[in-house]
Amino acid sequence: MGRVLILVLLLGAMRLIAPLASVGEGSETLLAFGFLILAAYTVGELAAGLRVPKIVGYLAAGVLFGPSALGAVSHESVVALGAIGQLAIALIAFLAGAELRWHEVRERGVTLLKLTTVELGLTFAVLTGLVYALHPYIPGLGSGPPAEALAFALLFGSIAVVHSPSVTMGMLSETGASGPVARTTLGVVLVADVVVVLLFSAAAAVARTLVPLEAAGGGASVAGLVWEILGALLVGAALGGGVSLYLRFVGRELFLFALLAAFLGAEIARLAHVETLLTLLTAGFVTENLTRHPARDALRHAMERSAAPVFVVFFALSGAKIDLAAVAGVILLVLPLVLVRAGSINAGMRLGARWAGVTGAEARLSWMGLVSQAGVAIGLASIVADSFPHLGPPLRTLMLGLVAVNETVGPLLFRRALAAGGELQAGEATGEWESAGERRGAAAH
Amino acid sequence: MSAGLVLVLVVAGAWLAAHVAFDWLARRFLIVSGAEYLLLGILVGPYVSNLVSPSVVSGFAPFMVLTLGWTGAVIGTQFHLPTLLRVRAHYYRTAFLEALLTLVVVGAVMTAAFIVQFDLAPAVAMVPGVTLGAIGASSSLWGIALITRRLTHRAAIVRQLEVAAAVDAFVGITAFGLLLCLVHEAPPRAARPPTATEWVAIALGIGAVGGALFHLFLRGERKPDRLYIALIGALTLASGAAAQLRLSPLLPTMLIGAILVNTSRNPETIRRALGNVQRPLYFVLLVFAGAAWRPSREAWVLPVLLFLSIRTAAKMGGADLAARLGGMWHTLGPDWGRALLGQGRLAIAIALDYLIMGEPLPNVVFTATVASVLLTDLASARLVASVVHQYRERRAARPIAHEMPQGAPVVEPGH
Repeated sequence: MGRVLILVLLLGAMRLIAPLASVGEGSETLLAFGFLILAAYTVGELAAGLRVPKIVGYLAAGVLFGPSALGAVSHESVVALGAIGQLAIALIAFLAGAELRWHEVRERGVTLLKLTTVELGLTFAVLTGLVYALHPYIPGLGSGPPAEALAFALLFGSIAVVHSPSVTMGMLSETGASGPVARTTLGVVLVADVVVVLLFSAAAAVARTLVPLEAAGGGASVAGLVWEILGALLVGAALGGGVSLYLRFVGRELFLFALLAAFLGAEIARLAHVETLLTLLTAGFVTENLTRHPARDALRHAMERSAAPVFVVFFALSGAKIDLAAVAGVILLVLPLVLVRAGSINAGMRLGARWAGVTGAEARLSWMGLVSQAGVAIGLASIVADSFPHLGPPLRTLMLGLVAVNETVGPLLFRRALAAGGELQAGEATGEWESAGERRGAAAH
Repeated sequence: MSAGLVLVLVVAGAWLAAHVAFDWLARRFLIVSGAEYLLLGILVGPYVSNLVSPSVVSGFAPFMVLTLGWTGAVIGTQFHLPTLLRVRAHYYRTAFLEALLTLVVVGAVMTAAFIVQFDLAPAVAMVPGVTLGAIGASSSLWGIALITRRLTHRAAIVRQLEVAAAVDAFVGITAFGLLLCLVHEAPPRAARPPTATEWVAIALGIGAVGGALFHLFLRGERKPDRLYIALIGALTLASGAAAQLRLSPLLPTMLIGAILVNTSRNPETIRRALGNVQRPLYFVLLVFAGAAWRPSREAWVLPVLLFLSIRTAAKMGGADLAARLGGMWHTLGPDWGRALLGQGRLAIAIALDYLIMGEPLPNVVFTATVASVLLTDLASARLVASVVHQYRERRAARPIAHEMPQGAPVVEPGH
């Protein structure tokens, strides 16, 4: 409670000095950034005390201190801190790729593909159908022609199936879980991330043909789509090779190098118009599998260490982006969508597990790790909002509502799955959380 | 080119330059690593290759402010009272005299020079003049640290140099922080603009209150990773608050660093958490300082040459006089101040802070600092080595009473 009191005092101090502030280049952003770290850290610790994942605490801090509640962090600051999100996603993807071993991909690649195909296919079909059925009740869509409703449903379905690599990686980093449930969940999330790019692009293409006057560009050609995927593999492999060479011949200042490698990867991906997550994922995978043991672990440790504050702010910013008023307006529509989505994921994973011959805890529990949604879904919804001026805004509002609920409920469910699978570490089970970096550091000592 | 990519490319280039070339040079020829980053920054900056445009440099201003705050906190952690109390008083007396003499002499001469050359009012000329005084007072500890690592015996001269460098930093930061309070402009939204004394109270308040609150916040934290996250938050908040009020982040964060290290049950953990990212942040600071450099529109050659010569004279003369007044002359010798000529991180930090603030003659002040760092950083370890060598020769000729006992506390290099 002491920390909460200090936080309140700091908030009061910030308000106190506000009239004395000069208009500086980004000093308000810096102030907001610092406060957000402390706030998220505090609420995250409170959450951990209540056996709730820290990520939920970070998100809650973002919502509480964000523009739509207490306003300690302004909308402008949230926008200005957008680069943190880009960096966080890059780090998350790199770390996720580094979790994959070549032998594991060879052994489990087909299984994961089967699980993902069924899970995504079923969820997409069910959600698209449900949204089409509910379209008369969706604010801003109302009584449009059926083609418009179908385009809306397709676009919504293709985004609603998205999982959250960031929450999955964040939870695995927080809990240190690495058992079958954890690895299956991570595998499906990573494979789905690639498939979703294809699905979304296809849905956007169909939507453009259904409502040609509505579309304002932003879709992808087949060649563009192929480049987005294959280019990401090429760029990622080159980046991973470069990182591996650095580790072999220089191998110093890994803390800053880890941040730079992630940032560089994200920037190159953006400039080359290739998929960012896939690029960094490939880079992490190549680095992990090309580099020898001590250097590899040292980089991963450095990356986890440099990522720790970035993750805290990233999740807090995700919370701050939630517009409470907009979510409240669509909550009655969102709740059935959340339930149906979770049910579809559950059914899809069970069917997929049967097809792939997976049994045990991973077949029963892995679906719970797939409920979370965060930045990727919001990003895709924003793309639709830009590309489809009429359909976009209601879709974005509905999607924000869905993400807001899923990103709160998802980590809770995932933690429950890991606990039920017996994959939580002893310290985590008692609320004594250590980051993966600390655990590795302790093990090294 | 996007700002992010530019940042990455710049730092990546600096990195390779430093690690492949300069690291080897540092080990082989006693060259302290640092100036090369500054040079690289200048080369990629808007006035040489324009790889980094002015808008990119200003876009990273918040990051630079955070780096300044971090530098202040790292310097603050040197002031661990139990460690300081184990050093005899005459070391401090000598160090304070040397630092204050340099500050006053450089500040006064540069103020007078600005009045004459640029026809400025004394009150205006005093701002860049005293800033250069504060910069002139600061000296680099990297050279001292490099030489200390090679010594098997901790001599009194080494102790004096470490104390002097820490006190130089304290005097430089305090003088610059107070100067900005004295010349503070009225904030646009304030009903009543605070007086200079009130600005001083606010600057110290951010440090003292922030330090106390952050101590309570971090009190129970044992895990290095969590401590590190909370420290980032605390220093970002304090630096942001100072920058928003147009105050130097160095002074409040130095106080915060000192409070944290003195109130923590495990000061070494705090020091380590701050020190771990100190080097990479310093490199980035140097690169951006180089990129921020602009050739002054004013006639800068004379003031820069004057600063370089007057600082050298003040350091040497001030150190000599301070040693005589402090009763350490026989121990330290006449030209021990030569070992304090090296300039590095703190000088750049103050100059960059001054540049960001946009006070009078920013480019003259910055150019003088860059020139001083480029000239002295490379030679600082050799200067220290020569002073230590002379000390040994004197000691061999005549044993000295003020020798430090073996195992005396070591102050880590902070600037």
